[in-house]
Amino acid sequence: MTSLQTLSSQASSLKTVDASLLIAGFENPVAQCQQAFRQLLSATSEPGTLQTMVATDAQPAGLNTASWSLALSLFDADCTVWLSPVLAAQPALVSNLLFHCQTRLVEHADEADFALCNADELDTLQPFSFGSAEYPATSTSLILQVPALSDECSLSAGSGWTLTGPGIKFSRHLCVAGLQDSLQQELIHSRNRFPCGIDCFFTCDHTLVALPRSTQLSIDQPIDQPTDQHSAQES
Amino acid sequence: MSTPQMTQVEGYNFAYLDEQTKRMIRRAILKAVAIPGYQVPFGGREMPLPHGWGTGGMQVTASVIGTDDRLKVIDQGADDTTNAVSIRRFFAKTAGVETTEKTADATLIQTRHRVPERPLQNGQILIYQVPVPEPLRFIEARDSETRKMHALREYGAMQVKLYEDVARFGHIATSYDYPVMVNGRYMMTPSPIPKFDNPKLNGMPALQLFGAGFEKRIYAVPPYTEVQSLDFDDYPFEVQQWEESCAICGSDHSFLDEVITDDAGSRMFVCSDTDYCRERAQSNREQAQENEQ
Repeated sequence: MTSLQTLSSQASSLKTVDASLLIAGFENPVAQCQQAFRQLLSATSEPGTLQTMVATDAQPAGLNTASWSLALSLFDADCTVWLSPVLAAQPALVSNLLFHCQTRLVEHADEADFALCNADELDTLQPFSFGSAEYPATSTSLILQVPALSDECSLSAGSGWTLTGPGIKFSRHLCVAGLQDSLQQELIHSRNRFPCGIDCFFTCDHTLVALPRSTQLSIDQPIDQPTDQHSAQES
Repeated sequence: MSTPQMTQVEGYNFAYLDEQTKRMIRRAILKAVAIPGYQVPFGGREMPLPHGWGTGGMQVTASVIGTDDRLKVIDQGADDTTNAVSIRRFFAKTAGVETTEKTADATLIQTRHRVPERPLQNGQILIYQVPVPEPLRFIEARDSETRKMHALREYGAMQVKLYEDVARFGHIATSYDYPVMVNGRYMMTPSPIPKFDNPKLNGMPALQLFGAGFEKRIYAVPPYTEVQSLDFDDYPFEVQQWEESCAICGSDHSFLDEVITDDAGSRMFVCSDTDYCRERAQSNREQAQENEQ
């Protein structure tokens, strides 16, 4: 954790906009921000459903399409964002976030409203804010870029979960590749701290899936009960 | 009845609110959905109508609505009351969206004090206008205290209030704004809907968002979430019942309004949900025509 923050503060020298690195954001910001938000709302209200996010022509090096779409629709000068060391070392990403979102980048993860990170960089949730019992909404929302996502447990190197809870009629399957074991354990155990917790968005290419703190996770076992994973796309 | 898509008036941003305000409200909505029943504070804005006329619901609607949406607005179940008509026109003008009076056709439904009789579908969003979002407010006036009570899940005071009803009247006399527990964790006010509508909240396939403009709070119930009305083992939760049926459609299972028809005390009972009543009356007419033929 210390090394994460040290590296991150070294990268803070890059927090200026380099105009030569800028790319276009949404072509029609009002409509596309709204569409992206509705996808985020569907994702959060029905955890485990895969959303194909509104796309831009290009995204800054280091971010996938879904993360960039989320950033453009939710980030602004009123919220704080923490970048993982690898992402903070991407001048194009920093410049475009500062230019398009005017967002405030922070060095300490626990001060952040949003944290952007690659799955292979993160082995713990400890650096982030879980909110307090009286103000649980002050927690950090984590956007984690992963190598693969699926709602069927077909990924070879992924963690298969059965999800239950609000927004899920029976249960859903979710398979997220590339998560470190310790992070998975912490995600599962953090459910005991509800209403405190971390709301996660997993992104891969154009796809996004939400895992809010209210969703219960269990490591997949063969099950017989009905699931609504196939009806997940109907809305 | 669907109205053709109106063109958006010039001089306003899409759906009236500026983009930064919408983003702030959108972030609050996502938190609210992630913590079902918890009231998330937000920076409420002035709207071009007074508090108490649904400014909270309107701010939520303005942040959620898109050009593809079809909006329905109801006030006490009716599409044709002043509040409903004003808000529907407001969004038709500022967002240029299509509006409808049909529950089945709507993607967004903003409501004051009723849940439509027709069961809502997954993918629809129901947005409530909320006057007082804190269920414990009339028991404990201090926000610092009610916050602690929610944090500690200390809800005994509400059970005492309901018990006092039983002791005084012999039954739970609270008939609207009846407190519920969401997902077994947070106590929530469903807004001043009649308790008749409380069972519809439980496991509803549609997403429910609640906006309180005066108190600047947003809260939510995701689809398929457990919502239980408070009660006692020996005094279980019950909803209102009527001996009368609707004078227009004959419904004996919907929420009825009592309408005084003259100075001599004559009265009639009609469905409070105008769309549901219209639909039933129409199918009754069609049935009657078929029978004649």
